[in-house]
Amino acid sequence: MGLTSNLAAAVDPMLLVAGVTGFFFGVFLDRGGLGNPHKLTGVFYFTDFTVPKVMFTAILTAACGLYLLSGLDLMSLDSLWIVPTYFWPQITGGVLFGTGFVLSGYCPGTSVAGLASGRLDALVAMAGIASGSFLFALSYPFIGNFYDSSSMGTVTLPDLTGLDPWAVIGILGLVALAMFFVMEQVERRG
Amino acid sequence: MPPEDKKNYWSPYIAGVGIGLTLLAAFFFAGRGLGASSAFARGAAAVANSTNPRYAAGLAYFSDYLREGSPFRDWIVFEVAGLFLGALTSALFTRSFSLRFDRGKGAGRFARFLGAFTGGLLIGFSSRLARGCTSGVGLSGAGQLALSGWIFLLSLFVSGLLTAFIARRGLWG
Repeated sequence: MGLTSNLAAAVDPMLLVAGVTGFFFGVFLDRGGLGNPHKLTGVFYFTDFTVPKVMFTAILTAACGLYLLSGLDLMSLDSLWIVPTYFWPQITGGVLFGTGFVLSGYCPGTSVAGLASGRLDALVAMAGIASGSFLFALSYPFIGNFYDSSSMGTVTLPDLTGLDPWAVIGILGLVALAMFFVMEQVERRG
Repeated sequence: MPPEDKKNYWSPYIAGVGIGLTLLAAFFFAGRGLGASSAFARGAAAVANSTNPRYAAGLAYFSDYLREGSPFRDWIVFEVAGLFLGALTSALFTRSFSLRFDRGKGAGRFARFLGAFTGGLLIGFSSRLARGCTSGVGLSGAGQLALSGWIFLLSLFVSGLLTAFIARRGLWG
């Protein structure tokens, strides 16, 4: 029974996709230097802009691919789970997260990559992250109302601005290019 | 940072394209993005459940996690396990793996331990509040052009800058 259910899990195509995409995510995080807390926090000290360079390149690559595939009818955006917006909870979450990021030197995914490169401090951060999740479950009865407040559904920037997705991607691309240019200048001088 | 690390890393733009294509593959094949933090919540729920099932069942937020059954059959847990193996393979192949307790120049071992743990606490809590972390909301949301991803990344960045400014000595600066 145990063996057959394990085998069923092993051949579940979705879990195979999870493992394989996770594997590549891990390879690229490690090779990009995103398992290294010095590089991860560098942007907040204006010394190393690896994180915004990787993030913006990844976001634009995925966005181009996504809207290209849906434009060619190779996939439907309706079948995609869009990350819903809860305005104030996500702003508050971002503020607390930014402080935690600088204090610990990692975020959840990069702490796993950090541990995989032998960093034991990442293991301490991971224990903190799991404990923080538990702390949230404990506080949930008191903050549940706030957690569910300012729900905006699956709103996207094209929805919000009324612009064509490709116009939004174009604007973000130009902003990214300008940012990359400034970052390269600052890094070269530093 | 150790000098071998500096030489070893790929261009951030190449790594970014790689992560972007991986994210696109997750969108295409699984209909969802990449995540990380909910694997930690699954883990915490599983630990609570195995130490005191009655207590864990009483935690309304964890009940969803526990209802879906074993965490080892869950998508995000497989993804994060893959992430670990991928990063480990990469670190071993490029000979950059080394056991260490990494910390900033101005931080002692105890301060680093405290910073890593309290920072982690904040991250674990805030990831649940925001419905994901830099991967699940930041990267995946922003890549879908979802508003959630952009407001999360922006507030994270401003808060990180402030924290780094207030604590410039003693952490990483």
